[in-house]
Amino acid sequence: MIKRIFGVLFSPLGRIGLLIGGLTVLSLAVWGISLTQASPAQPIQFPHNRHVNFGIQCLYCHPGASRGPVAGLPTQTKCWGCHQQMQITQTSELLKPLVQAVESNKPIQWVPVAIVPDFVHFNHRPHIAAGVNCEDCHGDMRQVTIAENPQVFNMGWCLNCHRERTENDPEKRTKLLDCGTCHY
Amino acid sequence: MSKKISRRDFLKLAGVGAATGAVLTGCGPASRYVVREPYMQMPEYTFNGQSTYFATTCRECPAGCGLVVRTYQGRAIKVEGNKVHPVNLGKTCARGQATLQGLYNPDRVTGAVSQSARGSRNFSNMEWDAAIGVVADALANTDPAGIAFLMGLAPDHLYDLASDLTTAIGAPAPVRYGALSLFETRATLLQAAESILGQSGLPYFDMAGADVTFSFGANFLETWLSPVAYTRGYSKMRKQEKRGYLVQFEPRMSQTAAKADEWVPLKPGTEGLVALAIGRIAAQVRGGSLPRAFVDVDIPGIVEESGVSEETLLHLAELFAGAERPLAVPGGAALGQSNGLGTAEAVLALDAMAGNFGKPGGVFLAPIPPNVDAVPRPANLQEMAAFVEQMKAGEIKVLFIHGINPVFELPKALGFENAMKSVPLVISFATFPDESALQADYIFPDHHGLESWGYQRVAIGADQPTLSGAQPVVVPFYNTRATADLLLAAAGTVGGDLAAALPYPDEVAFLQEKVLPLVENKDANFNAAEIDTFYAYFQQAGGWWGNQIALTVPAPNSLNNAMTVAAPEFEGEGEFVLLPFVSPILGEAGANKPWLQEVPDPTTTVMWNSWVEINPETAHELGIENDDVVRIVSEAGELEVSVYQYPAIRPDTIAIPFGQGHTAYGRYAEGRGVNPFDLLGLKFNEAGDLAFASMKVKIEKTGRKRELSRLESKIGVYGEGLGEEH
Repeated sequence: MIKRIFGVLFSPLGRIGLLIGGLTVLSLAVWGISLTQASPAQPIQFPHNRHVNFGIQCLYCHPGASRGPVAGLPTQTKCWGCHQQMQITQTSELLKPLVQAVESNKPIQWVPVAIVPDFVHFNHRPHIAAGVNCEDCHGDMRQVTIAENPQVFNMGWCLNCHRERTENDPEKRTKLLDCGTCHY
Repeated sequence: MSKKISRRDFLKLAGVGAATGAVLTGCGPASRYVVREPYMQMPEYTFNGQSTYFATTCRECPAGCGLVVRTYQGRAIKVEGNKVHPVNLGKTCARGQATLQGLYNPDRVTGAVSQSARGSRNFSNMEWDAAIGVVADALANTDPAGIAFLMGLAPDHLYDLASDLTTAIGAPAPVRYGALSLFETRATLLQAAESILGQSGLPYFDMAGADVTFSFGANFLETWLSPVAYTRGYSKMRKQEKRGYLVQFEPRMSQTAAKADEWVPLKPGTEGLVALAIGRIAAQVRGGSLPRAFVDVDIPGIVEESGVSEETLLHLAELFAGAERPLAVPGGAALGQSNGLGTAEAVLALDAMAGNFGKPGGVFLAPIPPNVDAVPRPANLQEMAAFVEQMKAGEIKVLFIHGINPVFELPKALGFENAMKSVPLVISFATFPDESALQADYIFPDHHGLESWGYQRVAIGADQPTLSGAQPVVVPFYNTRATADLLLAAAGTVGGDLAAALPYPDEVAFLQEKVLPLVENKDANFNAAEIDTFYAYFQQAGGWWGNQIALTVPAPNSLNNAMTVAAPEFEGEGEFVLLPFVSPILGEAGANKPWLQEVPDPTTTVMWNSWVEINPETAHELGIENDDVVRIVSEAGELEVSVYQYPAIRPDTIAIPFGQGHTAYGRYAEGRGVNPFDLLGLKFNEAGDLAFASMKVKIEKTGRKRELSRLESKIGVYGEGLGEEH
């Protein structure tokens, strides 16, 4: 039985079929990988660039970054604090989901962009305390609308930075290169 | 077709297939597909990923322990003791830990309801404005003499508010009662203290400093006045340079007796006689003139009466006389006898003889809490009986019930449930649909303790005057309303003098007004210049307490009058003395919390049910085995319960825990076990407390068996549970 299947596959027609099949799989794979790397669709095409260019500080909307593990997403009341005073809020197509969310008192369902796997215990606070700027990891938000990752958050990338910044401090380096620092 | 597939090709193909599968199922982390919902409105003091801690007061019993509750994203997660709180210094008991299960209890009353007919459980929802109208109407259109407030034991802000309210309209003062006060026999203790210590006040026994403690029925490691504070005192007593020695006198071995160095299982009601005998012999051992209090003591008679041998009395008296800092503690079932007052006085006379008043390891009077002259005493059972008579006579037109479940917590013989039928309007503020709430016309649920504001005076357990503070640790889950707010709103609706007497916009304004005088007192755990800052600190610290130890030293008593203790009188025809005791785990209101139901009783390890403790000897004589269902019959009633053979109880005594036997109170409590209050009569001691341990009962076999769930092995350590035939 299995011999017969392989027989069909290796006939000339079969080979062409295999090639087409292989190409399909390959293109699907490429598409799939590109999907995982592209920024996910968000309920609101949030223009980070515009907000940053107005001079709003990152920590104004993500205050958790300086105090704990999670930077956090702004509450709707925070959005509304400014937006209710602006004419454009009522007319803009882009802002409709916000108006709806506030009126129906239902939270906006954001999709996280900058994430690390569950076995990594990432904490924003020590990074901010060490003088790392938001854009060092999250990229220049003046350039993008919805958040994008300028790099893949993998371990090599983390360790590179930990190494570079501790060149002259062996004690710190030992701590920052220790597995248990992030995986515990 | 002729080409063969080599093993190598097959593996290649399989590899490509697997790789494709892996790629197509996605490489991104799974959390990519998770959405995140930010708060609509961030709860105050909340930061993502960080817990917030709030200090408050435990409301599970009236001791007033300080709690620190960990909350996470607006939900209460874990309860711990407040380390700086003078009552419990960071400790909690099982009931305090389980307060979360009251908060998250699925059977809570979720909003204001009216009941179509009492007991029908046919509720219809009401708006709170209508509820305010009902209360306002009751307050405005009832003769003030017919308005009654029945409240729980805690001397808290709501009691103050209800007192202000009743004063303003000229109604009788609120009545406070709870099953715990019945078991504590507080009225007896207070009256005995007044006659022996020469001054009124709740005696505080400094166990931590005593080297020999004789406890006559005071079950302070389970539930007595302030179990957490006394447990702390006990542990300090044991940790002294010379390990403290504890002797427990009681017919049934409680947890306290189990931890004592000696347990003296005397006949119920003879504790006072034994105390006098020890006093007399100890005085003789010490030499000098015999105090007049002990001249009439008849040692052989007491030996006969109590079942304690003369050698034991001699040994105990020598122990007491030889101690540097001896202490005698009266309490619990010893005072819940017809001769309870005499017993309490006899035991305190031992202290007077030892001369330990106001000395380390001796007897003090508890500090008076801030802002009051004395802690108002809860009603004793005689006063409750009078209250029920008033209800029956139709003198009470409106009954407000808060913080207590009287149908469950009063002996059935008193007939509270029947008397409620003579009250035209009953309004309950219960958080849970308990037996009493189901007999009410309306339930206007108060917030759970962890959702509410307040303060509570600490009656005993702290060395300094203490006002324990409470604040909400979470936003109320349901459409409940603080009873204080409801009463204030109703007072505002009524207008006139009542509104003028209670001019507070809400509960917090009332609380701030009440704590205002404390701002002036700078010798305290914190200082503030004005009320807003003061109240912020008050919330942060979990209360206000003075820096100075304020225990009062009682006047020395010369013991000039000869003392006698009458023989105990018993009711009923039966052959066994019934000794009801509070379940140390469930208390009077813990049965609706599965954590507590699941905690094995410390002495018997029984869970989720009631049992009757019978000495194996007695059981053998009656032909009763473990788990047999027996009928316990008293003059007042009867009940059926499974047997637990307990070697550590006198053969002439049986014991049933109090805490189960609910007919309402939610899914975890209902229809589980029995309530020993069904068996009690209405015999009072001289101080008006119920002689709850003075009922004689009969045991009848039913021929049925119902297994008790228990942690300990039924076979026993030595296989004794297998029975002789095995």
